[in-house]
Amino acid sequence: MLTFIGLGLYDERSITVEGQEALRAADRAYAEFYTSRLIGTDVESLESHHDTPIEVRDREGVEQHPEDVLEAAETEDVAFLTAGDTMISTTHVDLRLRAHERGIETRVLHGVTAQTATSSLTGLQNYRFGKATTLPFPYAHGADGLPESVTETLEDNRERGLHTVVYLDIKIGAEARRSPREDVEDEEYMTADVGAELLADEYPDLTGVVVARAGSPDPQVAAGRLEELATRDFGDPLHLLVVPGELHLLEADALVELAGADREALEVV
Amino acid sequence: MGRRKKIVQECERLMDEPENIRNIAIAAHVDHGKTTLSDNLLAGAGMISDETAGEQLAMDTEEDEQERGITIDAANVSMTHEYEDTNHLINLIDTPGHVDFGGDVTRAMRAVDGALVVVDAVEGAMPQTETVLRQALREGVKPTLFINKVDRLISELQEGPEEMQQRLLSVIHDVNELIRGMTQDMDDIDDWTVSVEEGTVGFGSALYKWGVSMPSMQRTGMDFGEIMDLERNDKRQELHERTPLSDVVLDMVCEHFPNPVDAQPMRIPRIWRGDDESDLAETMRLVDEDGEVVFMVTDIAMDPHAGEVASGRVFSGSLEKGQELYVSGTAGKNRVQSVGIYMGGEREEVDHVPAGNIAAVTGLRDAIAGSTVSSIEMTPFESIEHISEPVITKSVEAQTMDDLPKLIETLRQVSKEDPTIQITINEDTGEHLISGQGELHLEVITQRIEKNQGIPVNTGEPIVVYREQPQQPSDEIEGISPNRHNRFYVSIEPMPDELVETIKMGEASMDMPEQERREALQEAGMHKDDSQEVEHIHGTNILIDDTKGIQHLNETMELVIEGFEDALDNGPLANEPVQGTLIRLHDARLHEDTIHRGPAQVIPATRNALHKALIDGKIKLLEPMQDARIDVPNDHMGAASGEIQGRRGRVDDMYQEGDLMVVEGVAPVGEMIGFASDIRSATEGRASWNTENAGFEVMSDSLQREKIMEIRERKGMKLELPPSIDYI
Repeated sequence: MLTFIGLGLYDERSITVEGQEALRAADRAYAEFYTSRLIGTDVESLESHHDTPIEVRDREGVEQHPEDVLEAAETEDVAFLTAGDTMISTTHVDLRLRAHERGIETRVLHGVTAQTATSSLTGLQNYRFGKATTLPFPYAHGADGLPESVTETLEDNRERGLHTVVYLDIKIGAEARRSPREDVEDEEYMTADVGAELLADEYPDLTGVVVARAGSPDPQVAAGRLEELATRDFGDPLHLLVVPGELHLLEADALVELAGADREALEVV
Repeated sequence: MGRRKKIVQECERLMDEPENIRNIAIAAHVDHGKTTLSDNLLAGAGMISDETAGEQLAMDTEEDEQERGITIDAANVSMTHEYEDTNHLINLIDTPGHVDFGGDVTRAMRAVDGALVVVDAVEGAMPQTETVLRQALREGVKPTLFINKVDRLISELQEGPEEMQQRLLSVIHDVNELIRGMTQDMDDIDDWTVSVEEGTVGFGSALYKWGVSMPSMQRTGMDFGEIMDLERNDKRQELHERTPLSDVVLDMVCEHFPNPVDAQPMRIPRIWRGDDESDLAETMRLVDEDGEVVFMVTDIAMDPHAGEVASGRVFSGSLEKGQELYVSGTAGKNRVQSVGIYMGGEREEVDHVPAGNIAAVTGLRDAIAGSTVSSIEMTPFESIEHISEPVITKSVEAQTMDDLPKLIETLRQVSKEDPTIQITINEDTGEHLISGQGELHLEVITQRIEKNQGIPVNTGEPIVVYREQPQQPSDEIEGISPNRHNRFYVSIEPMPDELVETIKMGEASMDMPEQERREALQEAGMHKDDSQEVEHIHGTNILIDDTKGIQHLNETMELVIEGFEDALDNGPLANEPVQGTLIRLHDARLHEDTIHRGPAQVIPATRNALHKALIDGKIKLLEPMQDARIDVPNDHMGAASGEIQGRRGRVDDMYQEGDLMVVEGVAPVGEMIGFASDIRSATEGRASWNTENAGFEVMSDSLQREKIMEIRERKGMKLELPPSIDYI
């Protein structure tokens, strides 16, 4: 049995009760933290909290050499852990399909993801979001300026009046070592001001909404012109950005009240 | 140094009169006497004393050059010469003749308009004569001929007038055959063959400092009989005084080589691919010293006091101290710290160097040999075409760790000075690997590191550079990214030789305007549709994008290319470079989000796909070959040909030439290591020989596996080949 368990957003207590029970009952637990990580804790704390050893795999260990994980799951109860939800962002559906090929039973125990937290914290309605996109560090993609996938997604969504979640790049391990920044060692998180600055290059006057530390005890939500957001400091990671499309009356009220938006700048229908 | 100062002043005055400038190179086979001839010219122009010319070798400035008695770097010098009552400024570049230093010759040719080709009267035109001629003509540089060592025909071989005439005519005939063959497809050159009657051929002895030509004989009234008498009776000093070599040669230079004003209109279209309708093209054609500055760097040398000195040709504008100039291929500008001209081995600073001259510039820290330096951003001169690729590699490491930073700096320097040298780092061992044209080339470079920089180094055994090339077209192969969300569909095919040659010569590159590249590729036999879809050229390999309208492929292409380049630099057999492969990208499936098609996904997917395709195309190992020519007395001929045959070589021809036998053949570079000492002992030191790189050949099937394993072991790779390689 291979159980995919989402650990939720912030620390060892962000997992669901069902997830925690499954994890404690598992014979073996693997985790990947290259997609994202729990900012409020570390692997040792996770292990002691759940009283179970956890083997952390890098990207290569999950994508190219998952054989031992699968082999173990043929005879034992194996838990596979990620931050957030295991099937959002880096979808591990590939690993699930490989398990099925081998006739291994699988199940998914959900975790809270940044995607739902974004709706929850900003008041923007889940129904009114278009495609999401990730804004990569400039050194991590081949385009000059913003990658087309970011600009196309944003513009397509806005044409249809929809909001866009812009995930901000996270580099962990070997990938972080490609960073041109010298102070970066094993992890590099794009903060919202940096993300806003990159976007402001092309869209200085658009309104953006910052969601910082969703799931933590002190989450922050802030709205403003991208150019203005680029000059502010939103504290510790993780951050993401939303570029709202047309707003429903109540969505606008929520942004003014919860995120300090300037009502005049919002496109309300 | 009063005289020297006067010469400098005269040079400065003449620099502003392009009609009276001649930029020339002396080029020849090794040991045919170029450097001795150069010294004669210097002495004739009053730059060094008459007595020491011939012994001083003023242009061999490096200690190792004077020890070895051969010229290694191209050296520059300016001198003045009065011809038909007008003083002329002659900027001369001496070039090495040894095949290992061919890169210097090619670069020198770009800076000059005329090439004085020197041929030994006894040996005649040799392989290296052919190479330097080709290098000159390809750059649009006009040749004249000087036949040297005529004294040996007279005094040593005791030849009579008729015999001698026969011999000289046959040298001229051979050289003209070469010129004719090389220029027949060049539309901008009508007839550049040389002739005694026209005065484009001179004869003489650089050692004894006398020379003659048809015009000089008319002027001095001396005929050949008189010359032979004087030479035979050891009245060489009288001969020198009555018909000095320098006058004969420098008159020939002034009379027959074009000045920059005549040369640049013809040479600019040949060596520059920019818009010929532009103002810049016009100022270059006019040699306009008031135009924008255009300076082509042909050489970088290290000066212990001034640092890096860039020398090259000013095609337009005037170089002055304090100018902020663009350097092609780098961002930002460099500030000129000083400008100067060359006098013997030394640089003389001057206020400005105008268009049409050879200049020496400091402060261009980003420039390498081959850079275009200019006051406005411009299309660079096409990359200088190097005829030879590196074939041999040696590891160098500093004996003490403290010297490591200095060694790294020195190696960086070396590769800037000589682009035919490649420096790489072995990622696993941290060793520095230095690749070049031959055993001697590398030996000289490492000795310079030790002597000039005082860094004691350990060097490894010389290692031959191999190539890998597919032998047939492959099927379409799928490459899957590690997260399996991205797929690439690729096939390969071996490229026809003509296409490979076109790329190797730089006649089609990604630097040139698209339209021109297409035409060049089509001319070399590429299908029109393919030529329009060329996405990238790497080494002698081409990537063709056959996909249609795939979303996001554009922004991913750079990573696709990175993966392909990695696969090509490290072939599937033994991590040796892949050559002559045409890659087709047929289709791709990409993940919606950039993060899931980043470098960690795309690079391995495309790299693996290409390796699989190459294996499907039955990729094989190629080894570099060398043409060898050995001149040897009859009774040692067997030993000489045995030295070639014993090295997995093939003897192609053996024939009599004068009193010697000539053995011509070809053998693998790997087997030629140590050839110099072996042939010496096999022939009791009676052989003279020449080798020249002759490209790569597929190794015989019976040796493939053994050699591949040897290389893999050396590189610490797995000692088993992928099972799909079942054809070796």
